[in-house]
Formats: sequence, C-alpha cells, structure tokens
Amino acid sequence: MLNICLQKTWKEFGLDVTFRIPRGKVTALFGHSGAGKSSILRIIAGLETADSGAISHGTEVWFDKEKGIHLPPQRRSVGFVFQDFALFPHLTVEKNVAYGVKEKANLKNLRELISLVGLAGYERYYPVQLSGGQKQRVALIRALAREPDLLLLDEPLSALDWETRRQLQEDLKSIINQFHVTTLYVTHDVTEVYKLADYVIALESGKIVKQGTPEDVFLGKKLSTRIQIVGKVVAIESDAIMAAVTVIHDDQYFKTLIDTEEIVRLKVKVGDDVVIGAKSSDVILFKVLTQS
Amino acid sequence: MNFTAPLLLSLKLSAITMTLLLIAGIPLAYWLVFSRARWKFLAESVVALPIVLPPTVLGFYLLMIVGGNSVIGQWYESFFNKTLAFSFEGLVLGSFIYSLPFAVQPFQAAFASVDRRLLEASWTLGRSRPYTFFSVIMPLSRQGIITGCVLSFAHTLGEFGVVLMIGGNIPGVTKVASVAIYDEVQSLNYGSANMYSMILLSFSFAILAVVYFINRRFIRTI
Repeated sequence: MLNICLQKTWKEFGLDVTFRIPRGKVTALFGHSGAGKSSILRIIAGLETADSGAISHGTEVWFDKEKGIHLPPQRRSVGFVFQDFALFPHLTVEKNVAYGVKEKANLKNLRELISLVGLAGYERYYPVQLSGGQKQRVALIRALAREPDLLLLDEPLSALDWETRRQLQEDLKSIINQFHVTTLYVTHDVTEVYKLADYVIALESGKIVKQGTPEDVFLGKKLSTRIQIVGKVVAIESDAIMAAVTVIHDDQYFKTLIDTEEIVRLKVKVGDDVVIGAKSSDVILFKVLTQS
Repeated sequence: MNFTAPLLLSLKLSAITMTLLLIAGIPLAYWLVFSRARWKFLAESVVALPIVLPPTVLGFYLLMIVGGNSVIGQWYESFFNKTLAFSFEGLVLGSFIYSLPFAVQPFQAAFASVDRRLLEASWTLGRSRPYTFFSVIMPLSRQGIITGCVLSFAHTLGEFGVVLMIGGNIPGVTKVASVAIYDEVQSLNYGSANMYSMILLSFSFAILAVVYFINRRFIRTI
C-alpha cells in the first residue's frame, strides 16, 4: 500500500491530494491536461519535491517534509515509464533493458523479458530503428526489469497512433498482470481507464474530485447491465423520437437505437466517451458455422 | 633543429593544455550546466572573458599575478626554485586560462543538449548521478567533447599575445611557433616566417577538417 499526501504550489496552480494506492492493483490517475497528474507522478518518483506532505510505501518513508526525509529517485523502488519513452539513444534494446539491473544473475532473464513483449530478434537494434509501439514496449520492460515495487506510467500511450494504442493496451494489461506490480497509471482517456484500471482517482485543477471503480467514477452508479461496451461516439443520426448512435470500440463499430430525449438530456455528442449497456435478458447467440 | 624547436614546443604546449582542459573543463562545464547556484552567471562570465579580452590584457594581469614580485610568484619560486613567469609552466598556465572557454563552452553546450528525461530515466532506474554521467551524459556528448578538445588545441597552437607577455621569447623554453613567426618577420626573414606560417595554417586546417569529418559521421550513426 502506498500512502500519498502532498501539497505543492506553483505560480498559478496548486496541488493538494491525499490518496492510497492498493497493492498489486492498477490505479488510474485520471484528469484533463493541466490537472496535475504528471506532477503527482514525478513527486512520487522523487523527480520533484512537494512543499509539504508525506509519501510512504509500506513501512518505508520516501518523503516526509516535517521529518526532513526526501529519498532520491534511486532509493525509491519505482519503475517509471515516460510519455516520450526516454530510451537511451546510444544503447541497444538489450542494453536499455539491462540498464537498471545491477545483479548480473538477473541478466539472463532479460532475453525472456524481451521476447515476452514480442521483441525477440530486436536485441541489437537501436531505439531509432524501432517503431513507436516497440519503443514503448522496451520502455515498459526496462522499467520492470529491476522488479520495482511500484510502476509509474505517465500517459504511456499518448504518443502513439490509435491502432498501436489499442494493441498496446492489451499488452500492457497482460504484462502488468504477469508481474503483479502495484501500478499508478496517468491518463486522460476513459477507454484506457476502463480497460486497464481497477481503481480510478479523478483529478481536477490539482484536487481529487472522485475516486472508486471506473463505474463509480464515470457513471456515478453500479450498472446492472449484462453487456457493457466502452467506446467513442463516431456518429449520431436522430429524429424526434429515436437516435442511432454509432460507437467505436476496438476498431469495431456498434450501432444502437436509443431515445432521442436521452441523447439530449445527457448532451451526448460525437467524440464523447460513452458506455453502452444492455439490460436485456434474452440476448441472442448464434454459433458460427465452420465448414467441415 | 632550431627551425623545428618552436614547432615542437607549440605542439607540446597545445597537447598539455588540451589534456589539462579536458580534465578540469569537464567538471567545470558539468557544474555550469547543472548547478542551481544563483551566481553561476558570474562564473560563466569569467570563463568567457578570454574570448573578448585582448590577449595582451590577459597576459599583463597574469604577469602581475605570477611575476617575481607577486605573492604567487614568490611562493612558486621558493618552492620550485625557478620563476613561473618566462618559463614553460607559466606558458601552460597562460594557455590554460586563455583557451578555457574554447574547451568549456562546447562541453557545456553538449551537456545541456542531453535530454533531461534521459537523466531522470537513469535515476529512476536506480543509477547514481556519477553513473548517469559516465553512461548517459558522456557518450551522448562525445561530439562536443571532441570539438572542445580540438578547438582548445588549435587555439593554443595559434595564441600569441598571452604567450609573448607571460613567456617572452626564450628559445627552447618559451619560443613557440607563433612567436617565432613574429621574430623572423622582425629580422626580415620572410622565407622562414612563411614556412612557420604555412605549417601552422596547414596543421590547423587539417585538424579542423578531421573534426568536422568525424562529427558528421557521428551525426549519421546516432
């Protein structure tokens, strides 16, 4: 369990948050740009200092302003994945991943780690020779290679194109699950939160406005629906009574009919993130026929 | 022998000055880039002074500071039993200060251009600041380090005013190639003045060409 309580004031912006990150879970720090998400991450990693407050991990105190404790980043067991990857351009994939590993015995596991993210054969490539998605995979396993207690991801997918993002969301989930590492994930993307996070902390102008499960935070209630699809609205065709809403989810389109009144009430427009839920208990299932 | 002695002395002076600047210039440049000291700009100004100052001004004050009548000069004399002014060691001191910005500024520019996120990545991967310096900053700054070394070498090779002020014109001790040229012209020996000049010109051109060539290759490989 990571306990965080910190305050920091800049010229025109103040940060004042208190929260906990449960062990072994993925917590998303959600908010629009300028909400203070990245600053919180940097303060937890020790790259910046808070004006007051305390950060402790289990029994270990990383920061306590009153007691004058401020561990440098090197002494906090964190893995930090930067938005723009921050791979060392003069080192190969293998050497980038091995950079933080101090025990030579662990080095032999590196190749396994590299193949885990589908980069076997790329060991001797330099970052400049990799695609954005490959770079982010290297950045992720570089952070995990030294087996940190806490993984911090600063909008890790925002520099990537939509298609790569979607693929990496899946990969991230499976890798984080394999490592069982406590994770704090900064994002402004609702779909990403739904896909990856167990718990969300929503931030606005440096303050926590809501926290809970993605459903608690984004819908304000538990849905009793059987089917849920989280996606982005790409089209709304409506008449006076009904509206056809098309939502894209994992590059698949879902079109559904809903009361126009509901669309107006919720002020749903193209580009919004939405959850489509179906309460129907008589969902039809077809078996796909395969040729024999 | 008499003809080559000033050239060899110039090369020796340049090589020693360059080595000392490499050793002292790197930590100084690091401090100038990464220190948060408020009065850093003063240190930067002092380092850059030799660029704008007439060499004779620098040479004059150096002579005052290390000359036989000064505290430093007397201390040096009692310790080593010889004067610092008008000696090869005095020349090295003068060249070191005179060429300081030509080494430190390229080092500084190279260190400052290393993406700060890479340093932060290194720290969060558990690596200390010295480790980060040698594993990230230095390899990514090699172009600037080479440029600084070569510029300080070439600049020392071509200096005249400071050398003449602090070292004088003692054959085999302080008479370097640039002073020899002046000497030959004064004695109307234009032939040998031309020879010295031609050698210095060709040599300076050659090392600069080599540096630019190497730097281009580095740019391609990174």
